[in-house]
Amino acid sequence: MKLELDVPKLTRRDLLRALGIIGSTGVAVSLGLGSFMTVAAQQTQPGMPQPDEKVDATIKRLFGNRSISPADGKVKLEAPHIAENGSVVPVTVEADLPMTPQKHVKSIYIISDKNRRPLNAKFSLTPEVGKAAISTNIRLAETTDLRAIVEMNDGALYMVKQEVKVTVGGCGG
Amino acid sequence: MAEVGADIGRVRIRLPSTIAKGEVIRVRALVTHPMEVLSFDKERKPIPKNYQFVYKIVATYNGREILQAETTQAVSQNPFIAFPLKVTEPGKLVISFTDTNGKTYEGSAEIKF
Repeated sequence: MKLELDVPKLTRRDLLRALGIIGSTGVAVSLGLGSFMTVAAQQTQPGMPQPDEKVDATIKRLFGNRSISPADGKVKLEAPHIAENGSVVPVTVEADLPMTPQKHVKSIYIISDKNRRPLNAKFSLTPEVGKAAISTNIRLAETTDLRAIVEMNDGALYMVKQEVKVTVGGCGG
Repeated sequence: MAEVGADIGRVRIRLPSTIAKGEVIRVRALVTHPMEVLSFDKERKPIPKNYQFVYKIVATYNGREILQAETTQAVSQNPFIAFPLKVTEPGKLVISFTDTNGKTYEGSAEIKF
Protein backbone atom coordinates (compact mmCIF):
# COMPACT_ATOMS: atom_id res chain seq x y z
CA MET A 1 0.00 0.00 0.00
CA LYS A 2 2.05 2.91 -1.28
CA LEU A 3 0.61 6.24 -0.43
CA GLU A 4 2.88 8.42 -2.45
CA LEU A 5 1.28 10.69 -5.00
CA ASP A 6 2.62 10.98 -8.46
CA VAL A 7 1.82 14.51 -9.44
CA PRO A 8 2.89 15.43 -12.94
CA LYS A 9 4.92 18.63 -13.22
CA LEU A 10 2.82 21.60 -14.21
CA THR A 11 4.45 24.25 -16.28
CA ARG A 12 3.27 27.83 -16.13
CA ARG A 13 1.96 27.47 -19.68
CA ASP A 14 -0.10 24.38 -18.79
CA LEU A 15 -1.57 26.18 -15.84
CA LEU A 16 -2.54 29.24 -17.84
CA ARG A 17 -4.06 27.06 -20.53
CA ALA A 18 -6.08 25.12 -17.95
CA LEU A 19 -7.29 28.34 -16.37
CA GLY A 20 -8.26 29.57 -19.80
CA ILE A 21 -10.36 26.47 -20.41
CA ILE A 22 -12.17 26.83 -17.11
CA GLY A 23 -12.77 30.50 -17.76
CA SER A 24 -14.15 30.01 -21.26
CA THR A 25 -16.42 27.08 -20.41
CA GLY A 26 -18.24 28.98 -17.75
CA VAL A 27 -19.21 28.77 -14.14
CA ALA A 28 -21.20 25.52 -14.32
CA VAL A 29 -18.21 23.51 -15.42
CA SER A 30 -15.86 25.03 -12.91
CA LEU A 31 -18.37 24.28 -10.17
CA GLY A 32 -18.51 20.70 -11.39
CA LEU A 33 -14.74 20.53 -11.45
CA GLY A 34 -14.64 21.95 -7.95
CA SER A 35 -16.79 19.21 -6.47
CA PHE A 36 -14.84 16.60 -8.42
CA MET A 37 -11.65 17.90 -6.91
CA THR A 38 -13.12 17.73 -3.40
CA VAL A 39 -13.99 14.07 -3.95
CA ALA A 40 -10.54 13.37 -5.36
CA ALA A 41 -8.89 15.09 -2.42
CA GLN A 42 -10.90 12.98 0.00
CA GLN A 43 -9.95 9.74 -1.72
CA THR A 44 -6.26 10.52 -1.60
CA GLN A 45 -6.36 11.49 2.09
CA PRO A 46 -4.55 8.63 3.79
CA GLY A 47 -6.64 9.03 6.93
CA MET A 48 -10.02 8.33 5.29
CA PRO A 49 -11.69 5.12 6.45
CA GLN A 50 -11.34 2.27 3.99
CA PRO A 51 -13.88 -0.46 3.39
CA ASP A 52 -14.04 -3.58 5.57
CA GLU A 53 -11.92 -6.41 4.28
CA LYS A 54 -11.82 -10.14 4.94
CA VAL A 55 -8.38 -11.57 5.62
CA ASP A 56 -8.40 -13.62 2.40
CA ALA A 57 -9.01 -10.43 0.44
CA THR A 58 -6.17 -8.69 2.26
CA ILE A 59 -3.75 -11.50 1.45
CA LYS A 60 -4.91 -11.51 -2.16
CA ARG A 61 -4.49 -7.73 -2.36
CA LEU A 62 -0.97 -7.91 -0.95
CA PHE A 63 0.37 -11.06 -2.56
CA GLY A 64 -1.96 -11.96 -5.44
CA ASN A 65 -1.95 -15.70 -6.06
CA ARG A 66 1.64 -16.24 -4.95
CA SER A 67 2.10 -19.30 -2.79
CA ILE A 68 2.96 -18.78 0.87
CA SER A 69 5.01 -21.50 2.57
CA PRO A 70 4.86 -22.35 6.25
CA ALA A 71 7.83 -20.82 8.02
CA ASP A 72 9.04 -24.13 9.53
CA GLY A 73 10.87 -22.48 12.37
CA LYS A 74 12.54 -19.88 10.13
CA VAL A 75 10.21 -17.17 11.40
CA LYS A 76 9.21 -16.72 15.02
CA LEU A 77 6.12 -14.79 16.05
CA GLU A 78 5.99 -13.72 19.66
CA ALA A 79 2.69 -12.46 21.01
CA PRO A 80 0.75 -13.14 24.20
CA HIS A 81 -1.63 -16.12 24.12
CA ILE A 82 -4.10 -14.09 26.15
CA ALA A 83 -4.24 -10.33 25.70
CA GLU A 84 -6.28 -8.68 28.42
CA ASN A 85 -6.21 -5.34 26.69
CA GLY A 86 -6.69 -5.52 22.94
CA SER A 87 -5.56 -1.96 22.45
CA VAL A 88 -1.92 -2.70 23.30
CA VAL A 89 -0.73 -6.13 22.20
CA PRO A 90 3.05 -6.43 21.95
CA VAL A 91 4.20 -8.39 18.91
CA THR A 92 7.69 -9.42 17.85
CA VAL A 93 8.57 -11.08 14.56
CA GLU A 94 12.01 -12.55 14.22
CA ALA A 95 13.27 -14.30 11.11
CA ASP A 96 16.26 -16.59 11.01
CA LEU A 97 16.91 -15.77 7.37
CA PRO A 98 19.89 -14.21 5.59
CA MET A 99 20.28 -10.43 5.49
CA THR A 100 22.82 -9.98 2.71
CA PRO A 101 22.42 -7.67 -0.29
CA GLN A 102 21.94 -10.79 -2.48
CA LYS A 103 19.35 -12.48 -0.30
CA HIS A 104 17.45 -10.72 2.41
CA VAL A 105 14.10 -10.18 4.06
CA LYS A 106 12.39 -7.36 2.20
CA SER A 107 9.18 -6.98 4.14
CA ILE A 108 7.43 -8.19 7.25
CA TYR A 109 3.64 -7.98 7.41
CA ILE A 110 1.61 -8.25 10.60
CA ILE A 111 -1.96 -9.33 9.92
CA SER A 112 -4.80 -10.02 12.33
CA ASP A 113 -7.59 -12.05 10.77
CA LYS A 114 -10.57 -10.64 12.68
CA ASN A 115 -9.76 -6.93 12.51
CA ARG A 116 -11.96 -4.81 10.28
CA ARG A 117 -8.89 -4.12 8.16
CA PRO A 118 -6.58 -7.09 8.80
CA LEU A 119 -3.26 -5.49 7.85
CA ASN A 120 -1.83 -4.00 11.03
CA ALA A 121 1.54 -2.91 9.75
CA LYS A 122 4.11 -3.53 7.08
CA PHE A 123 7.84 -3.15 7.68
CA SER A 124 10.26 -2.76 4.78
CA LEU A 125 13.80 -3.67 5.65
CA THR A 126 17.18 -3.26 4.01
CA PRO A 127 20.25 -5.49 4.48
CA GLU A 128 21.78 -2.68 6.57
CA VAL A 129 19.71 -3.62 9.59
CA GLY A 130 21.76 -6.80 9.82
CA LYS A 131 18.96 -8.99 11.12
CA ALA A 132 15.24 -9.35 10.44
CA ALA A 133 13.52 -8.75 13.75
CA ILE A 134 10.90 -6.13 14.46
CA SER A 135 8.60 -5.37 17.37
CA THR A 136 5.59 -3.15 17.72
CA ASN A 137 2.34 -2.79 19.67
CA ILE A 138 -0.89 -3.51 17.82
CA ARG A 139 -4.63 -3.26 18.39
CA LEU A 140 -6.81 -6.36 18.16
CA ALA A 141 -10.60 -6.09 17.94
CA GLU A 142 -11.35 -9.59 19.24
CA THR A 143 -9.87 -13.06 19.69
CA THR A 144 -8.12 -13.78 16.43
CA ASP A 145 -5.45 -15.60 14.56
CA LEU A 146 -2.42 -13.39 14.19
CA ARG A 147 -0.16 -13.89 11.20
CA ALA A 148 3.29 -12.73 10.35
CA ILE A 149 4.24 -12.98 6.71
CA VAL A 150 7.84 -12.52 5.68
CA GLU A 151 8.68 -11.60 2.10
CA MET A 152 12.17 -12.24 0.72
CA ASN A 153 13.74 -10.07 -1.96
CA ASP A 154 13.45 -13.03 -4.37
CA GLY A 155 9.69 -13.13 -3.78
CA ALA A 156 9.52 -16.14 -1.44
CA LEU A 157 6.86 -15.83 1.25
CA TYR A 158 6.81 -17.47 4.67
CA MET A 159 3.97 -17.39 7.14
CA VAL A 160 3.58 -18.12 10.81
CA LYS A 161 0.30 -18.01 12.71
CA GLN A 162 -0.75 -17.86 16.34
CA GLU A 163 -4.04 -17.40 18.11
CA VAL A 164 -4.38 -14.51 20.53
CA LYS A 165 -7.34 -14.52 22.93
CA VAL A 166 -8.52 -10.98 23.50
CA THR A 167 -10.45 -10.14 26.68
CA VAL A 168 -11.31 -6.50 25.86
CA GLY A 169 -11.19 -5.42 22.21
CA GLY A 170 -9.07 -2.48 21.30
CA CYS A 171 -10.40 -1.00 18.09
CA GLY A 172 -13.48 0.86 19.26
CA GLY A 173 -15.58 -1.59 17.23
CA MET B 1 -7.58 6.09 27.17
CA ALA B 2 -4.41 7.74 28.44
CA GLU B 3 -3.88 11.45 28.13
CA VAL B 4 -1.88 12.55 25.11
CA GLY B 5 -2.35 16.32 25.15
CA ALA B 6 0.40 18.76 24.30
CA ASP B 7 3.08 16.10 24.26
CA ILE B 8 1.92 14.87 20.85
CA GLY B 9 4.74 14.26 18.45
CA ARG B 10 7.47 13.74 21.03
CA VAL B 11 9.85 11.11 19.66
CA ARG B 12 12.01 9.06 21.98
CA ILE B 13 14.79 6.80 20.72
CA ARG B 14 16.66 4.37 22.93
CA LEU B 15 19.94 2.69 22.06
CA PRO B 16 22.02 0.31 24.15
CA SER B 17 24.36 2.18 26.51
CA THR B 18 27.49 0.64 24.99
CA ILE B 19 27.85 0.03 21.29
CA ALA B 20 30.68 -1.85 19.62
CA LYS B 21 31.53 -1.39 15.96
CA GLY B 22 30.08 -4.11 13.74
CA GLU B 23 27.54 -5.17 16.33
CA VAL B 24 23.83 -5.60 15.59
CA ILE B 25 22.07 -3.38 18.13
CA ARG B 26 18.41 -3.04 18.95
CA VAL B 27 16.87 0.38 18.36
CA ARG B 28 13.67 1.24 20.17
CA ALA B 29 11.59 4.22 19.16
CA LEU B 30 8.34 5.68 20.38
CA VAL B 31 6.26 8.68 19.41
CA THR B 32 3.56 10.22 21.54
CA HIS B 33 0.52 10.11 19.29
CA PRO B 34 -3.22 9.41 19.81
CA MET B 35 -3.53 7.08 16.76
CA GLU B 36 -7.19 8.05 16.48
CA VAL B 37 -9.57 5.09 16.15
CA LEU B 38 -12.59 5.01 13.82
CA SER B 39 -15.88 6.43 15.00
CA PHE B 40 -19.06 4.75 13.83
CA ASP B 41 -22.53 6.12 13.15
CA LYS B 42 -25.82 4.57 14.36
CA GLU B 43 -25.73 2.00 11.56
CA ARG B 44 -22.21 0.94 12.59
CA LYS B 45 -20.77 2.52 9.46
CA PRO B 46 -17.45 4.33 9.85
CA ILE B 47 -17.93 8.09 9.81
CA PRO B 48 -16.07 9.40 6.77
CA LYS B 49 -13.44 11.93 7.79
CA ASN B 50 -9.70 12.18 7.90
CA TYR B 51 -8.64 10.27 11.01
CA GLN B 52 -5.36 11.33 12.58
CA PHE B 53 -2.88 8.48 12.88
CA VAL B 54 0.75 7.80 11.99
CA TYR B 55 0.91 5.97 8.68
CA LYS B 56 4.55 6.11 7.79
CA ILE B 57 7.75 5.64 9.74
CA VAL B 58 11.16 6.08 8.13
CA ALA B 59 14.54 5.38 9.72
CA THR B 60 17.75 6.69 8.21
CA TYR B 61 21.35 6.05 9.26
CA ASN B 62 23.78 8.71 8.09
CA GLY B 63 21.26 9.73 5.45
CA ARG B 64 20.69 6.24 4.07
CA GLU B 65 17.21 4.83 4.46
CA ILE B 66 17.44 1.58 6.40
CA LEU B 67 13.86 0.83 7.37
CA GLN B 68 10.36 1.94 6.55
CA ALA B 69 7.09 1.01 8.15
CA GLU B 70 3.55 1.53 6.96
CA THR B 71 1.29 1.65 9.95
CA THR B 72 -2.49 1.74 10.26
CA GLN B 73 -5.07 2.52 12.91
CA ALA B 74 -4.52 -1.08 14.09
CA VAL B 75 -1.27 0.06 15.70
CA SER B 76 -1.56 1.11 19.34
CA GLN B 77 -1.65 4.63 20.68
CA ASN B 78 1.87 6.04 21.15
CA PRO B 79 3.25 3.76 18.44
CA PHE B 80 6.36 1.87 19.40
CA ILE B 81 8.74 0.07 17.10
CA ALA B 82 11.94 -1.82 17.71
CA PHE B 83 14.34 -2.98 15.03
CA PRO B 84 17.94 -4.13 14.70
CA LEU B 85 20.72 -2.07 13.18
CA LYS B 86 24.17 -3.19 12.19
CA VAL B 87 26.43 -0.35 13.28
CA THR B 88 29.28 -0.06 10.82
CA GLU B 89 30.20 3.57 11.42
CA PRO B 90 29.57 6.37 13.88
CA GLY B 91 26.82 8.71 12.86
CA LYS B 92 23.29 9.89 13.15
CA LEU B 93 20.17 7.78 13.28
CA VAL B 94 17.02 9.70 12.39
CA ILE B 95 13.52 8.30 12.76
CA SER B 96 10.54 10.19 11.42
CA PHE B 97 6.85 9.55 11.94
CA THR B 98 4.34 11.03 9.48
CA ASP B 99 0.66 11.27 10.33
CA THR B 100 -2.44 11.68 8.20
CA ASN B 101 -2.67 15.38 9.10
CA GLY B 102 0.54 15.79 7.11
CA LYS B 103 2.71 16.41 10.16
CA THR B 104 6.10 14.76 10.49
CA TYR B 105 7.69 14.22 13.88
CA GLU B 106 11.38 13.50 13.95
CA GLY B 107 13.80 12.20 16.51
CA SER B 108 17.50 11.45 16.29
CA ALA B 109 20.22 9.64 18.17
CA GLU B 110 23.97 9.75 17.88
CA ILE B 111 25.81 6.45 17.37
CA LYS B 112 29.26 6.50 18.96
CA PHE B 113 31.74 3.78 19.80
